Amino acid sequence: MRIFRWRAIGPLLVFTLLAGVLWVLLADRIARRAAEEIGTAIVGAKVEIQKLHIDLTNGDVTVRGLTVASPHEALKNLFQADELTADVAVLPLLEKKVVIDRLAANGLRFGTPRATDGRVPGDPNASVSGRVMGEARDWAQRFQVPALQLATGKIDVGTLDPRRLSAIPAAGALSARADSSRRAWQTGLDSLRLAATIDSATATLTRLRGARATDLAALSDARRAIEQLKQARGRVTALERGVTGGLAALRAGVAGLDSAKQRDYAFARGLLKLPTLDAPEIGLALFAPSAVAQFQRALYWTQLARAHMPPGLLPRAEQGPPRARRSGSTVRFPREHALPGFLLRTAELSFQLDPTAPQPKRYAGRLTGLTSDPSLYGRPTLFEASAPAVTAGAMLDHVHATARDTAGATVQGVRLPLIQLPSLPIGLDPGQGTAQLGFALRGDTIRARWAIRSTHVQWSRDSAAQRSTGADLLWRTLSGISDLQVDAGVTGTLSQPRLSVRSNLDAAIAARLRTMLGEEAAAAERRLRAEVDRQVDPAIAPVRARVTALQTEITGRLAQQRARLDQAQKDLESRLRELTRIRLP
Amino acid sequence: MLTLVKLLQSLVKALHSEGTPGQLAAGLALGSILGLTPLLSLHNAVVFALIVMLNVSFAGAMLGWALFVPVGFLLDPLFDHIGHQLLMHTPALTPLWTAMYNMPVVPLTNFNNTVTLGSLVTSLVLFLPFFYLFRWAVTRYRATIGERVRQSKWYRTVTASKLYNIYRLFRPEA
Repeated sequence: MRIFRWRAIGPLLVFTLLAGVLWVLLADRIARRAAEEIGTAIVGAKVEIQKLHIDLTNGDVTVRGLTVASPHEALKNLFQADELTADVAVLPLLEKKVVIDRLAANGLRFGTPRATDGRVPGDPNASVSGRVMGEARDWAQRFQVPALQLATGKIDVGTLDPRRLSAIPAAGALSARADSSRRAWQTGLDSLRLAATIDSATATLTRLRGARATDLAALSDARRAIEQLKQARGRVTALERGVTGGLAALRAGVAGLDSAKQRDYAFARGLLKLPTLDAPEIGLALFAPSAVAQFQRALYWTQLARAHMPPGLLPRAEQGPPRARRSGSTVRFPREHALPGFLLRTAELSFQLDPTAPQPKRYAGRLTGLTSDPSLYGRPTLFEASAPAVTAGAMLDHVHATARDTAGATVQGVRLPLIQLPSLPIGLDPGQGTAQLGFALRGDTIRARWAIRSTHVQWSRDSAAQRSTGADLLWRTLSGISDLQVDAGVTGTLSQPRLSVRSNLDAAIAARLRTMLGEEAAAAERRLRAEVDRQVDPAIAPVRARVTALQTEITGRLAQQRARLDQAQKDLESRLRELTRIRLP
Repeated sequence: MLTLVKLLQSLVKALHSEGTPGQLAAGLALGSILGLTPLLSLHNAVVFALIVMLNVSFAGAMLGWALFVPVGFLLDPLFDHIGHQLLMHTPALTPLWTAMYNMPVVPLTNFNNTVTLGSLVTSLVLFLPFFYLFRWAVTRYRATIGERVRQSKWYRTVTASKLYNIYRLFRPEA
């Protein structure tokens, strides 16, 4: 039996030829779709290519009509390019490595509008861009931005929880103490047995009235009765002393209820969500969202670069290619002195920054050393663009274990984006001005700055928003300001960033806020005090009345008992004096 | 439905072809590699060339491919795990993978994908067991119910179709 089927060589060759023809016919389309898929996965937003042509014999790849959507804004492109021409090294392609010796990008336009949402919501667990986007979003949410509540001119009154008021439990405790004291004093009065003593003294007095001066037994009984009355009065005095102390404590408790109520007023005042009146806080409230959005984007791109351009030569796994079967993970095994998986040696960029301007200016930039394996390439990725009124530069240094990323740009004379002031029915159009962004991330230590300057600010008022006195006053204040200077900065670490924002509007707004919010703050405080009274007074008043009643009752009873004792003693002593004619000691 | 009919046709033709049980089993085993591993991989071009060039049952290979595609889908998590262990957690193999990754052409096989490597290794390990299993099964089939099936009306209907003529081009040579 023969092992080889020689007559199948013909069909096999035909099949191979057919595959070759299909490749020639479909290679551009396959490469275009692959480039779109890979680009979309990397950026986290749609990458669209109108035409892609591969000329392997000359090592040229030409891309026309490249559109990269913004992953942050729905209807905006990150950039568009008319044409990209790349000189690709052919031999590394056999190692599945893409080495572009030179790339020329013409007609780059940034921030152009698009008709459909180009964002691709990535699964944070499955895609790098989705994970990085989620992390950047979480990071941005770490900043506590104070709210400036002027749109309605209302001060928010927080919910007053009766369980958190101190006067109510204090009143309950005092009531219990009053009841306890009342029981103790009643027991004390009962234990004095004054009635028996007074009855005994009355009986003795009756007998004494019928006795003679020589009736020594009667005289002796009278003296004994007087002594018992004195002892009883001593016990009453002792009880009186205790009652006086106890009543003083109860009165102090009542006074303490008033103090607790004052504390409750203070607590309730803390619930008033008063708008901040400090200028730095106002800067944060007005411009922090815009500033944080800029920093969040810068962080997203930096972290994305770190994810796709990691330092080191260790094997690393990344998501496998999308296919019907499970994607799995594709593991890269970089080796020293070998070529990186991707390397763009030099790119010459020609771009426009304000393509909607009547006469858009053209700028030129240069990008070098963009690679998937910085440790193999051994040099950082550099970008620079300079022209009159534009300076931009970036360095992604992932060569060493601690990545260092810096980027900075200053653009003068460009149209700055509209700014909607949070919570205010007022829009701000900075017009043409200067924008600066500096961003440095060393390891996880961040230092970033965003600033805008404009001298021709236009203000617009949201006519649909509810009108209020506060907003009217603020509108009059702001609409007279034509300069704008905003400086925002972030320092610290990624886990504990600190944000500061200053603007020339802060002081003006702060002064206006103080004027117009003073009366409303007082009214809100009055409302809260009334609410405290409503909740606390029903608990305090009965206790106060109970203590007063107890004081009246117990002192009255004691005085009454003391008077009876005194009267009995006086009667006995008087009769005894009559009988003996002598004054008893 | 058409796929099922064609699968049935392949099964019948393969089992009753003139090829020996060994040729049919070799075709099935090679086809199992196509089915178990992701199809669009460079190694499958080699496997396909072997199926065409070697004197094995082409119908058996197609049958093996068709039978093992769903098995491949089902076992993908296992292949992923095996590939992950081999690529990431076997330090002794790292120099080999590094050398292969930086070699011309080899990276085009996608060997560094966990599912591809796991499925390829599994299918290669199972190749000989499959070969002997299929050869035993075909021999048993032909010795027991094969002849009765050959005499049946529906078998003659199947073998009379036009596809059968194409198949005859690649039938194993005795």
